[in-house]
Amino acid sequence: MPGTAAPAKAAPKKGMNKSLRESLIAYSFIAPNFIGFCIITLVPMVISIGLAFCDWDGVHPVEFIGLQNFLDLLKDDTFKASFVNTIVYTVGTVPLTLVCSLGLAILLNQKVKFRNFFRTVSFFPYVASLVAVAAVWNMIFNPAMGPVNQLLSMLGVAQQDLPRWAAGRDTAMITVILFSVWKNMGYYMVIYLAGLQGTNLELNEAAELDGANKWQIFWHVTLPQLRPTTFFVIIMLTINSFKVYDQMYMITQGGPGNATMTLVYDIYNVAFVNTPRYGYASAISMVLFILVLIVTLVQFRGSAANE
Amino acid sequence: MKKLLALTMAGTMALSLAACGGAASESTAESTAESTASGTTETAEGSGEGVTLNWAVWDLESTAYWQAMADGYMASHPDVTIQMTDLGSTDYMTQLATQLAGGNGELDILTIKDIPGYSNLINLEMLVPMNDILTRDTADFGGVIEQLTADDGNFYAVPFRSDFWVLFYNKDMFDEAGIEYPTNDMTMEQFDQLIRDVSAATGAYGNIYHTWRSTVTLFGILDGQNTIIDGSYDFLKPYYEMVLSEQQDGVVPDYGVQKTSNLHYSGAFQSEQAAMCNMGSWFIATMQEYNNTAAENGVEPINFGIVKYPHPEGVEAGTTLGTVTSLGINPYSENQEAAADFINWCVSDEGAAAIAATGTFPAVSNPDINSIIAATEGFPTDEASVEALNTTAVYLEMPLSSKASEIESVLNEEHDAIMTYAKTVDDGIASMNERVGEILSAAE
Amino acid sequence: MAQTTAVKEHSSKMQHRVAMFFVYLLLILIAALMLIPFIWMLSASFKLNKDVFTFPIEWIPSNPRPQNYVDIWTRIPLLTFIGNTAKLTIIVTLLQLFTSSFAAYAFAKLKFKGKNTLFLGYIATIALPWQAYMVPQFMMLRSWGLNNTHLAIILLQAFSAFGVFLMKQFYEGVPTELCEAARIDGLSEYGIWARIMLPLSKPAISTLVIFTFVSTWNDFLGPLIYLTETRLKTIQIGLRMFISQYSAEYGLIMAASVIALIPVLIVFLSLQKYFVQGVASAGLKG
Repeated sequence: MPGTAAPAKAAPKKGMNKSLRESLIAYSFIAPNFIGFCIITLVPMVISIGLAFCDWDGVHPVEFIGLQNFLDLLKDDTFKASFVNTIVYTVGTVPLTLVCSLGLAILLNQKVKFRNFFRTVSFFPYVASLVAVAAVWNMIFNPAMGPVNQLLSMLGVAQQDLPRWAAGRDTAMITVILFSVWKNMGYYMVIYLAGLQGTNLELNEAAELDGANKWQIFWHVTLPQLRPTTFFVIIMLTINSFKVYDQMYMITQGGPGNATMTLVYDIYNVAFVNTPRYGYASAISMVLFILVLIVTLVQFRGSAANE
Repeated sequence: MKKLLALTMAGTMALSLAACGGAASESTAESTAESTASGTTETAEGSGEGVTLNWAVWDLESTAYWQAMADGYMASHPDVTIQMTDLGSTDYMTQLATQLAGGNGELDILTIKDIPGYSNLINLEMLVPMNDILTRDTADFGGVIEQLTADDGNFYAVPFRSDFWVLFYNKDMFDEAGIEYPTNDMTMEQFDQLIRDVSAATGAYGNIYHTWRSTVTLFGILDGQNTIIDGSYDFLKPYYEMVLSEQQDGVVPDYGVQKTSNLHYSGAFQSEQAAMCNMGSWFIATMQEYNNTAAENGVEPINFGIVKYPHPEGVEAGTTLGTVTSLGINPYSENQEAAADFINWCVSDEGAAAIAATGTFPAVSNPDINSIIAATEGFPTDEASVEALNTTAVYLEMPLSSKASEIESVLNEEHDAIMTYAKTVDDGIASMNERVGEILSAAE
Repeated sequence: MAQTTAVKEHSSKMQHRVAMFFVYLLLILIAALMLIPFIWMLSASFKLNKDVFTFPIEWIPSNPRPQNYVDIWTRIPLLTFIGNTAKLTIIVTLLQLFTSSFAAYAFAKLKFKGKNTLFLGYIATIALPWQAYMVPQFMMLRSWGLNNTHLAIILLQAFSAFGVFLMKQFYEGVPTELCEAARIDGLSEYGIWARIMLPLSKPAISTLVIFTFVSTWNDFLGPLIYLTETRLKTIQIGLRMFISQYSAEYGLIMAASVIALIPVLIVFLSLQKYFVQGVASAGLKG
């Protein structure tokens, strides 16, 4: 943000009062959301962070065990596999979704016929019930009889070389990544569409008069104006990718083996599948939290450097 | 620079938040638990003479026996109201654990779905010992109570429903193939051969093994020599090899494909994609319902029969696997006596008859029960199918152990790896031996 | 000279046509890709359960079964579930919209102590998965007697950091000069929020409404844990009633899913018209 000159003009004493008054007004804007958020979400969050250093099954008294949960994590193969898988998934999903959703938004921001129809249709995979969407995905990618493998087979791929998609150890993650991009690009497209409405058309026209081609206009005029949107999309995409769980749950159940087990899936299993271990689940979520915090800080710095 | 400072501060804030949380959490969690407990006491005081029992169940809308049991009991006990809380079958244990968190007593009667869930609830001390509460002779349960008894000599739940495993087959498909029906006394070798023969003759799958671990591995426990919790799993090898070879030859559906495609055994059997299906006795009622409504749905009924479960060489026919559904009492409940009375009624002859009338096998063995079920509409009329209901020995799918649930997780994981070819049979079994060994040797 | 211009114009017209052809081809391909699940859902909703997962995929059921659309209303209290879901979704969306856009204004346009720290802290909390603090939260709300109440779900959903973040990013795109001018004109900060920011951020508001609506409408885990009484349940929980211990009725699930999709599509269709270029820049000119 460019520095504003207005406050500098005010006298220092008056300025202090003014800044206090400004702060109070600002707090009054934040209060309705923040107070609700603190009570309902922040308090349990803080409790759960504390639980990471405890042993608790939900019924017996909470027992403080220091760093034991974190030491146990180091020996936990499922945790290690899910840690790696989560990162692989994020690296695979974020850039692909970003490019696809931006491309789609730009395409559907043009004056094309049936624009409303195309926009709505792109949003379909996101709003349709996950049960249905996952079921149809698995049918289409069915290794034995799905249309995708039938097509590959017609193209001359040998029967034993056909990918096993969600059922194969090496292809399961790719299948889930493709699924995520397909399912979520409509969602981020909506954000980009909204962002594009804030861009200044006059700048585009000016650039066009200067003889810039469409690509140059996009790269040098439109994209910089979309920076707050892109920042938001990248942060949300990253966080949501790190927290992914339901897509694996519906498509691969974390398998085959541990091939698509993620951190949140692991948290869910630890917390609920056997005798509940809420402390241990909290420890895993702390690792996830710190991971996301680091990545988010880097992104914040990157965006600050750009400004 | 300033921004950098702000960011570092934000990071520190998050960390210090974490530290505060560590100190505060114990007291907060405990006080929450206390306030919840006192909340329940208050509601219980107001109840007076009329008692309302809150019973945790699943699939209330689609399962007939819950309501039959509640209505049957309330008819003879007008002062008691039974209220059911449907926690759904898919997420039952997750839901139950959450509802019970903090030692909550709102649910008086807990239904126990499987042995790992039972073992979890015992570990959590969320069940009352039933030894002095059960009025019926434990011998009437055909050895199941003994299998539910924990190391401390107590049993914490009373089974009211009991299913055992049989083999379903499609008579028309066998007729078409010109192959004789399966019999009530088949060894594994004969079963394997039959799968291959009927698949070759019809082009459909010979059998569908559902994606549960139990459909493949539990043939191994029928000889009574091994259990699934001993920590040594070499005895599973021949069964894995048999099923994997069937899978490779395409005479049964591929496990990995089945798992990701939602292909359900009932759908596969009803649409004649498979000629046989090894499954629990609950599937009888599903098939009866399917056939009874076939006309209005515009489909052909399936001419099915059932025979006794295939067994290893040298094991008596009629030896099979069992699954029990049991009832337990929440120790935090304010209505434990009333709950006990209800449970005792459920396993009385009167309760058992109410359950059997819905086409469900009650847990107390009773010579009349099988004939009640064989007489229900749509039950196969051939003698072999009626005879198939007589079992000689029933082994629970998993014996009780405080580690049951952890062992189950490991076995399922390794099973998945073996069945999807991620590991060879030998590697998978070696890994089972090693990992379950670690669980068993770990201190409580 | 005149001739060359004509040729140039002609060729650029041709170029444009070819380009438009590829744009439409691409759009149609994408639309097909996106519509596949819906067509499958629709087709499965007219099938008997056993036929849903058979191969080859039968896109047009040979033996259509409209009965599924009758059965879903009688087998489960679907109408009650839809009513509950609609009530929850509308309340949550309104609350979310108000509190988020209000707070976002402060984060985007006002100066106050601890702004960056507070904002970063807000975003950081999005990173913590709900599964990690779900049980302490449940115990807390239950101790306040909110188990089996719709209020619990409303409280869970209405105050999210996500909404604040989304609105803030959009408000930052609104020129600060507009706010400055309004301040000079004597408008209070609340006035600026109501008269300038809100009208200028229609695309952002539409986005937030769409997202909140969809996420509340499709929310599963929250209602699953908090609403165990049938009369309070929502559609997504209702769909689960067709999946029982030993069987699942996918034909009915798909029929109910199709019904459940309609309100979401109506909301999307009626709000996406605000995604029209020039709303914010028009404000700049005025």
